[in-house]
Amino acid sequence: MNRYKILVIEDEVHINNLLKTLMEANGYQAISGYSCEEGRMLYSSYRPDLVILDLGLPDKDGITFLAMLRKESGIPVIVLSARSDERDKVEALNLGANDYVTKPFGSAELVARVRSALRTNSHRSEDGKVPGGNFHSGNLRIDYDARQVWIGEAEVRLTQTEYNIVALLSEHAGKMLTYSFIIREIWGYNDAGSTKKLQVNMANIRKKLGAQPGKKNYIINELGVGYRMSEGE
Amino acid sequence: MKGCWERMKKIWKNIGLMVGILILTFGIGLFLNDALQGNALIPSVFVLGVFLISVFTDGFVYGIIAAIVSMLAVNYAFTFPYFRINFTIPENLVSGVIMIAITLITCFLTSQLKRQEQLRLESEREKMRANLLRAVSHDLRTPLTTIYGSSSAMLDQNHEFTEAQKRKMLLGIQQDAQWLHRMVENLLSITRLDDENVKIIKTETALDELIDSVLVKFHKRYQEQEIEVEIPDELVMIPMDAILIEQVIINLLENAVQHAEGMNKIWLRVFIISDKAIFEVRDNGNGIPKEQLRTIFSEGIGLSVCATIIKAHGGDITAENAKDRGAIFRFTLDIEELGQEDESV
Repeated sequence: MNRYKILVIEDEVHINNLLKTLMEANGYQAISGYSCEEGRMLYSSYRPDLVILDLGLPDKDGITFLAMLRKESGIPVIVLSARSDERDKVEALNLGANDYVTKPFGSAELVARVRSALRTNSHRSEDGKVPGGNFHSGNLRIDYDARQVWIGEAEVRLTQTEYNIVALLSEHAGKMLTYSFIIREIWGYNDAGSTKKLQVNMANIRKKLGAQPGKKNYIINELGVGYRMSEGE
Repeated sequence: MKGCWERMKKIWKNIGLMVGILILTFGIGLFLNDALQGNALIPSVFVLGVFLISVFTDGFVYGIIAAIVSMLAVNYAFTFPYFRINFTIPENLVSGVIMIAITLITCFLTSQLKRQEQLRLESEREKMRANLLRAVSHDLRTPLTTIYGSSSAMLDQNHEFTEAQKRKMLLGIQQDAQWLHRMVENLLSITRLDDENVKIIKTETALDELIDSVLVKFHKRYQEQEIEVEIPDELVMIPMDAILIEQVIINLLENAVQHAEGMNKIWLRVFIISDKAIFEVRDNGNGIPKEQLRTIFSEGIGLSVCATIIKAHGGDITAENAKDRGAIFRFTLDIEELGQEDESV
């Protein structure tokens, strides 16, 4: 069996052990590194399929490692961070991290993120570009050719901008997209009022998709960070 | 910007006080002069005025200005030669010097007093912090006992427990670890605000996104507890530190779950009244005991964190009992006028 290789870079021994055990219990092969330097060595010798990266490493910042990694490869990276540093999260995501998990985390949550990151990577958001492509998540369906969004049998009437946002999120389903990433993709520029503009559009989209606060919604919002389209397993 | 404005306000207050008291003194002087022919009393009245100004204004400046003005006034209007400034008469000179001396001494004493008051406040804050630390350390011991005890029991005597017993112990570990996590979050919020120089950074936050995030986090911990939500239909943007306000609402909800006896319903409502957003967490439990109502925000960590965070946002937080049943917690946040230019989409 060809198992996915996962490189865990985390300096706290107990957390590292936990992550390794958790990955192995879920059928992955796990390799442990305890510093930025060690991580880099292990990365070049093992060529893993995914990296779980702690941001607070002893020798160098996890962000530095991420930047280094992104220069040579697009492999999925999941960042571990503490609650209080939203800015670190946003920075990591903007640097190309696929996702982040806040410490302390539940095992189910982490495993779900790993699975989703590996999956997203294997079909790299091509659905939107191939003709006849469709996106499904629960009752939500996006017909990319017709630029139409459906919930069950009912078409959801979106404006151009709203559609573009929904389509963008769906093409990266499961991945957390930061405000600035979405803004750049949709409007091409980023100015002072952009986040507000995005939030206004998102509010309309939520209403049209019938979202209710606190319930399982198609688009998940992460305060101060961005949005994620749920994959609807 | 705000600090500058506050300073201006203070200066105006001082000036107002000074001018007000001086006018009053002058009036009394005129009255005494006309009605009682109590010429000899007038310098004393001015001394009293200068003394009061020195006590109630900040620093030395206003007192000294008042002393000089009073001296000139007494000299000009109330002593011989009338309506002329004259320093050749030793009496006038001496009364002037006395007035300046009183001002200096009073100002010195009041500023000393104010400094002592500040020191007292600081030591009080220090004491509060020490109390908090003591309470926290005490509180930490309980969950640590569960975690340490259960895990070592399972390591040492793994085969002697049934699956159900192990599961129960693991659940205990998980719950107490979650409790510790919340405690740490609260402490982090306090330290984030502790430093008075650190201004919170407010970003415009969509109300429904905030409420969504709160509910998702709350339901992770309390799956069964339903919450009735009522928020405005239209998009409302409120400037805040969203992470901290999120914590306030979660703490209030959690407080209802843990302390409202006989509660089976929680409401979370937000109303907009003119330029304020009013957040309300209400339950239908037994309410807050009367003797606790006044001190409730300084009792547990959760609620005192709420008060600290709301205060730092420039809002108000209150607790009261509903007329029929249950407790109501409310806090307010300002909604600044939003720029209209980027409303169009």
